[in-house]
Amino acid sequence: MSKEKNETIIELKAVTKRYGFGDAESFALHNFDLIVKRGEFIMIMGPSGCGKTTLLNIIGLLDKPTTGEYLLNGKNVEHISSRKKAHFRAKEIGFIFQNFNLIPNLSVIENVSLPLIYSGYHKVRRLKKADDILERFHLREREYYMPHQLSGGQQQRVAISRSLISAPSIILADEPTGNLDSRNSHIIMEELRDIHAQGNTIIMVTHNPALTTYATRVINMLDGEIDTDIKTVDDSELPRPGDPEKISVRILSKKRPVELEVDSKTKVVVSGQHVTIENDKIKPKSTKKKTDNKAKKKHKAEKKES
Amino acid sequence: MALLLNTHFHLAVDSLHRNRGRTFLSALGIAIGVASIVLILSLTGGINHLISASSNKNNADLILVRPSTGKNIADNIISELTSNNQFTKSNLTLEDVNTINDIPEVSTVAPIATSVSAIKIGDRTVQSANIVATSPAFADIASLHLKNGQFLDSGLRKNIAVLGYSVAMQQFGGTEAITKTFTYNDKHFMVVGVLDELSDPINYNGINIDESIIIDINYASTFESSIQIQQINVRTTTTDAVSKATEAIKQKLTETKNGDESFSIITSAEDMHPAGSLLSIVSGMLTLVASISLIVGGVGIMNIMLVSVSERTREIGIRKSVGASSGNILLQFLFESIILSLIGGILGFTLGYIGAFVLSLITPFAPYISWQILAITGTVSLSVGILFGIYPAIKAATKDPIVSLKYYH
Repeated sequence: MSKEKNETIIELKAVTKRYGFGDAESFALHNFDLIVKRGEFIMIMGPSGCGKTTLLNIIGLLDKPTTGEYLLNGKNVEHISSRKKAHFRAKEIGFIFQNFNLIPNLSVIENVSLPLIYSGYHKVRRLKKADDILERFHLREREYYMPHQLSGGQQQRVAISRSLISAPSIILADEPTGNLDSRNSHIIMEELRDIHAQGNTIIMVTHNPALTTYATRVINMLDGEIDTDIKTVDDSELPRPGDPEKISVRILSKKRPVELEVDSKTKVVVSGQHVTIENDKIKPKSTKKKTDNKAKKKHKAEKKES
Repeated sequence: MALLLNTHFHLAVDSLHRNRGRTFLSALGIAIGVASIVLILSLTGGINHLISASSNKNNADLILVRPSTGKNIADNIISELTSNNQFTKSNLTLEDVNTINDIPEVSTVAPIATSVSAIKIGDRTVQSANIVATSPAFADIASLHLKNGQFLDSGLRKNIAVLGYSVAMQQFGGTEAITKTFTYNDKHFMVVGVLDELSDPINYNGINIDESIIIDINYASTFESSIQIQQINVRTTTTDAVSKATEAIKQKLTETKNGDESFSIITSAEDMHPAGSLLSIVSGMLTLVASISLIVGGVGIMNIMLVSVSERTREIGIRKSVGASSGNILLQFLFESIILSLIGGILGFTLGYIGAFVLSLITPFAPYISWQILAITGTVSLSVGILFGIYPAIKAATKDPIVSLKYYH
């Protein structure tokens, strides 16, 4: 899947969303133009009622603009059937919500595998994929927990796993940290940053200005229009799916050593502040070579509150 | 597509499984309706089976000629319901019997005329005795067996009678009743024979021979001004001759009656027992009443599905946001209601069969389960599931995902 760099995936042309008629008429979006390139991490800010959620809903094909054009991957979505739109949502779009929106009576793994049902995966393959992705988010032991048995941060990680499971080209996050405390917010933002680093496009709505440091582009909205639009990273610097894999590790336990298998031959052991890399091919003591491994590995041992 | 259907099936089963109590109760509604239908059909089927099994024995070469007052079905029902007076205005005559007897394909003919009258046995009066006037050939046609004595015979005196088993036991002091006398219509009769007890008292003659006193019809016609022939039993020479004989009887009778076609000819291919049509009407009515309970069960399913849809509004929103189309949601909920009513159908079929079996212990009819009943049960519960599930499913499918996602309960 070699995708051209800086490929435009979303293009909104003079999109207007109007509610009500006559005296009661109000605009959630007014002549809104937006071009999103692959690999961007856009943070949308603005006061309540400025049309942020409406914008996400339109991009996520849940809502239709009153007027204007929306091109997704260069294709005008105005005339595609609702069935096709649903198919698009299943394959190309991942949603993350403020209140997690997990189905309460499905287990974690079933919740995560939900989008695959609608893209025609067999049950065994669904669960296998969900298992893989949950492992990535360190939730493997929680697979058969019910959502209410998890903390808010864990629930949001489950929701993020779900949004990623069908490898969508856009991830839409509507205040993903809104219901979380600062520690969990931070964890979730780290996850999103990792996802972004792997070449995913993320559009996120937030009220928290502190989070804008994670973004490559910050859009401020006011009354359904763009107020300011700042790019902090040049388009050419945006990550792509083909980029070397970066692995980040967060160590939450200081006492117990943590072992991580990078692949079948390489193992990383984190114990306190010491990081050891074990590889069959590499002889001991030649630690320098390891960093030149074909996959550039960045290990981050984060120690957070004792 | 098959995979998707399979997935929806599993989704529905999962969701029903989670709400076991609710699933069971709403399936029970359907089960009761289906059980009563199965019970009614299997019992009436059992009765029907019993009757036709006994009346169609050795009767392949039998033709019945009955008077009919008209083709109106409603009239027939009423006349059948008032059974004993059913053919009081019979237009069949003894001449017709002779006409039929002249047809070459016909081997034997026996007319039957019944009446309920008082008879005197010695000093005692029996108020309502069943008198059957017929010809000597009747013993042959109806396969009657004698316990004692002999049957009517044209070579004997005219005023003789043959007793049914029960009559002999109850009114004449046992089966040794031969040479006893009684008075009927001021005529003296002497008993010359007693019949064996019949295994199939209900039969195509429409009379219970066990309870009857059989006298000669030619003699009866001499003292009864207008004898009413309820039925003429005809046996043909061979089984193959039945259709030809039927045609001939129809033609001859129409001829002699100057074009009057107010009689009906029944062959063993059709239902011969007199109760047949009445039974099917009654069973139809009962089934109709039972299906009302099925509608109640269906409304129960619809209700529970609507509750389920509104309870799961948020789930619908989530499913739609992760890629479920309206069709997916529709199928998911429709499958749920179909499975619900099919569970009810299976449960009801089992319950109904058990019920029929229990009833068969106290009644003489064996429960009659045929593939037709199974098919009816299956179709009915499937259509109840679709009929009452489609509205909630459409309601679920047309929910706006944005609104649904904001839904709290």
